[in-house]
Amino acid sequence: MAIDYKRELETAAKRMILVHDPELLIKMIVRTIVQKVRVTHAGILLRSRDRDTYVLTVSRGPAGLKIPAGFARTDPDNPLIRFFKEEDARSIFRTNLLVYEEIRKALRRKSVTGQQKNLLKKILQQMEIFQAVACIPSYFLSDLLGVLLLGRKRSGKGFQSDELDLFFALASHVSMAIRNAQLFQDLESELDKNKKLFLNTTLALTTAIDAKDHYTHGHTTRVTEISLEIARRLMRSAKFKLEENFFEYLHIAALLHDIGKIGIPESILNKNGPLDEEERKRIKEHPSIGVTILQSIKELGPSILGVKYHHEQYDGSGYPEGIKGEGIPLIAAIISVADSFDAMITDRPYRRALSRQEAVSEIARESGKQFNPDVAAALLELHKEGKV
Amino acid sequence: MAKLLIVDDELDVREFAANFFRKRKIQVSTAANGQEALEKISQESPQLVLLDIMMPGLDGIATLESIRQNNKDLKVIMVTGKKPQEGDVFDKCRSLGALDYIHKPLELEELERIVMKELK
Repeated sequence: MAIDYKRELETAAKRMILVHDPELLIKMIVRTIVQKVRVTHAGILLRSRDRDTYVLTVSRGPAGLKIPAGFARTDPDNPLIRFFKEEDARSIFRTNLLVYEEIRKALRRKSVTGQQKNLLKKILQQMEIFQAVACIPSYFLSDLLGVLLLGRKRSGKGFQSDELDLFFALASHVSMAIRNAQLFQDLESELDKNKKLFLNTTLALTTAIDAKDHYTHGHTTRVTEISLEIARRLMRSAKFKLEENFFEYLHIAALLHDIGKIGIPESILNKNGPLDEEERKRIKEHPSIGVTILQSIKELGPSILGVKYHHEQYDGSGYPEGIKGEGIPLIAAIISVADSFDAMITDRPYRRALSRQEAVSEIARESGKQFNPDVAAALLELHKEGKV
Repeated sequence: MAKLLIVDDELDVREFAANFFRKRKIQVSTAANGQEALEKISQESPQLVLLDIMMPGLDGIATLESIRQNNKDLKVIMVTGKKPQEGDVFDKCRSLGALDYIHKPLELEELERIVMKELK
C-alpha cells in the first residue's frame, strides 16, 4: 500500500508542474493528500502578496473540521511561521517538518534547549487552533511560500516516517511549481501593465492631435469606436479571418491615424475657408509624417499600415501611394470609412455637418469607388441597427 | 456557561467557528441568515453575537439595525470580508453600537481573544 500512494503522489506532483494557476495547483495538492493519505482534513497557509501574512487559501474536509478557505490568516510573528522561517527543525527533529506527537516527545528531551521548548509549546497551541497534527513547509530556495497543515489520519494511527518523508518530498516538488505559477502570474500582470501604459500613452498623444485641430474635437475617439464596431461586424462574415491581435492593432492604429497632423501648421488645419494647392499638399503629407513618427516603434506592427494608408481609396485615387482594391490593408480600409463618416457628420471650417442619414448615403454611393465595399456595407448595417 | 451566537451564511464558517468555541467551553448556537439570527436572539438571549455582514437577504447591517430596535445593549461583533478602511460600513457599524469589526482572513487567536474578553 505504501508504495502505491508513493507512486500516486509522485504522479500528481509531475502533473502539477504543468498547472499555471497557483490556486488550482494548491487545490490539487490538498485534494490528493486528503484522498490518498486519508487524513480527516488538510489546508495550506499560503504567503499572501504582501509577503507578511499567510492566508489559509485552500482547505478540504468535512464542515466543522476544516478551516474555511479565506477565513484565517497568520501574522508575521505567528510561532509556526517564525519557526519555519528562522529555525531548521532538523536541529530538533529528523526532518524539517512538525508533527504534534514528535513535538510533545521533544518537550521531554534534555537535548532541547529551554528557548526551543518555549517556541515548541507555542507551536503546539497553534496546531491545536488549526486542528493540525502535522505541518510541512514549502520553500523556494530559502523563501517560505506556504505551510501544509494536515489533520489526523482517519485510521487514527500516527504518520509513518516514510509517509512524512513523502509529504516533504511532495512539498518541495510543489514549491517549485507554486513558484513557477507565481512567476508566470507576475509576468502576465507585468505584461498587462505595459499594455495599459502603452494604450494610455497613445491616448495622450491622441489628445495632443485633437487639441491642435479645433474642428476634430473627439474625432479620434469616435473613429476608434466606429472602427472597432466595423471590425466586429466583419468578423461575423466567413470572408474575413481576422487574426487574434487584429483588434488590438486596429485600436492603436485608429487612435494614432492622424498623429502626423502634429507636423502640419495649425493655420492650415484650422483655416476658415478653402485650401489652396500648396496647403492641400501639406495636409496630404500627414499619413507619411505619421509613419515617420511611429516607425521606430516596432511593436506597433500592422498598426502602422493603418496610419499610412487610411487615405487610400478603393479605386486607386487616394494618397500617399495610390494603391487600390484589396491591395489596401483591411486595417486602413476600415479606418478610412470610419474617418470619412465621422468627418461628414461633424462641422468643418469649409462646410456644415451632414445628417447621419446623408452621411451613410454618401458612403453607400462611394462604395467600390472611394471605399472598400465590404467595409462600407458593414457601416450601413451598423447604421441600420442604430449603432452609428 | 457563556452563550455565543454565530451568524454566517457559509456552513463551513458556522461549523468551524462553532467547534472552535465549543472546545473553549463556550455554549454556541448558529444562524444561517439575519432572520434566523433575530429569532435565536429572542429565544436564546445570547451574551454575544458574531455577525457576518455579507449575507443574502437580510444582511449583517440590516440585522444589526433590527436588533437595536428593541435591544440596545446586546454585544455584537461584526465579521466581514471587507477591509476595515472601507469606511462607510465601518462607521455604520460603530454608530449602531457594534463592539468590534473583524475582517477575514482573520487571526484565529485574535478572534479567540476578542470573543473571550467579551464573554468573561
